[in-house]
Amino acid sequence: MNILKKLISAIRGGANEVGEAVVDTQAIRILEQEMRDARTELDKAKTSLTEIMAEKMGIERKVTELGKSIAEHEGYVEKALEKGDEALALEVAEKIADSENELMIQQGILDGYANKVENLKHLINTTERNMKAMEREISIVKTTEKVQKANEMASAKFSGSDSSLRSAKESLERITQRQRKREDQTKAAMDLDIETGDQALESKLEQAGILADKTSASAVLARIKAKK
Amino acid sequence: MSNNKLKLLTDELDNKSLSTGTGLTIELIEGDNSDDVSVAQILVEGREELPIYMTVDEGQILCITYLWHEREVKSGMRADLMDVLLTLNVSVPLSAFSKIGNQYIIYGALSPDSNVNDVLLEIEVLSDNALEAIETVSEFLNEE
Repeated sequence: MNILKKLISAIRGGANEVGEAVVDTQAIRILEQEMRDARTELDKAKTSLTEIMAEKMGIERKVTELGKSIAEHEGYVEKALEKGDEALALEVAEKIADSENELMIQQGILDGYANKVENLKHLINTTERNMKAMEREISIVKTTEKVQKANEMASAKFSGSDSSLRSAKESLERITQRQRKREDQTKAAMDLDIETGDQALESKLEQAGILADKTSASAVLARIKAKK
Repeated sequence: MSNNKLKLLTDELDNKSLSTGTGLTIELIEGDNSDDVSVAQILVEGREELPIYMTVDEGQILCITYLWHEREVKSGMRADLMDVLLTLNVSVPLSAFSKIGNQYIIYGALSPDSNVNDVLLEIEVLSDNALEAIETVSEFLNEE
């Protein structure tokens, strides 16, 4: 079963419980145990990688030495031939043939080790990546559980009883009402600003004699008398 | 270590406000032991009903807001609601819908290297998105 499937069953398992727990903590514990097991396996793989690499280096040394020895003995054969010692040349040639056979065998082993090292490195890489992903997923599940708890605590504290039962629509209603109220207040304050601004200008104009004085009773009486 | 980053972020957020001048109230709810996850509760002024919860782990910073409970969904409309949420998911900027247990949530995930301004933007957008989301799907939700 892949990690996501396990997590889903862990989360669902938790959600179906009567209690408020979101996560099946038992399932998470199992996942964490699996993580620990995987880490042990990974450590083992790393140890055997080191061992194999050490062995591979030993064989590499052997292969180089064989190559050197072959070249060296080829020089001896040439020298023996120059001296006309055919028998000695043949003897050395036999040693070269032995070395060449040994070299073939060792080269084969070396190739095998190189393959093993590649495979192990690949395996270790993949395992490490998987474990990281798994760790992340477990962390997310734990996080959501913690957030759930915090939310329950907060809603209980926030507005007393039954607060966790408050619906999204009610919350929206409260928030928009509050917003509207604030907007209205802002608008009223702005209107007031404009009004007082107008008044200030008017009185300045009056003082300057540009705007006529406020209508007085005597002015009204004078106007009506004048009409007659 | 992740909890330290959360502490650092909440300290930095404490004297900040959103681009609209709206104030924030932040409370750090620390884990019971060093292994435990800490959560920061962020209240946006005037929207205290929809708190934002922030956590930090090795992989990401998560900001989560609870939207509504499964029981608030009108009977027979659950599939339609799901369809709307799934369809909306891409077009909602920076946030995505999900569920924790029986609660529908909206959340945003940030890189663990994000700075306080990235987080501020996230909070502002998430808060707006949460309100808008409830407004948008209110036809699917019960009054009570």
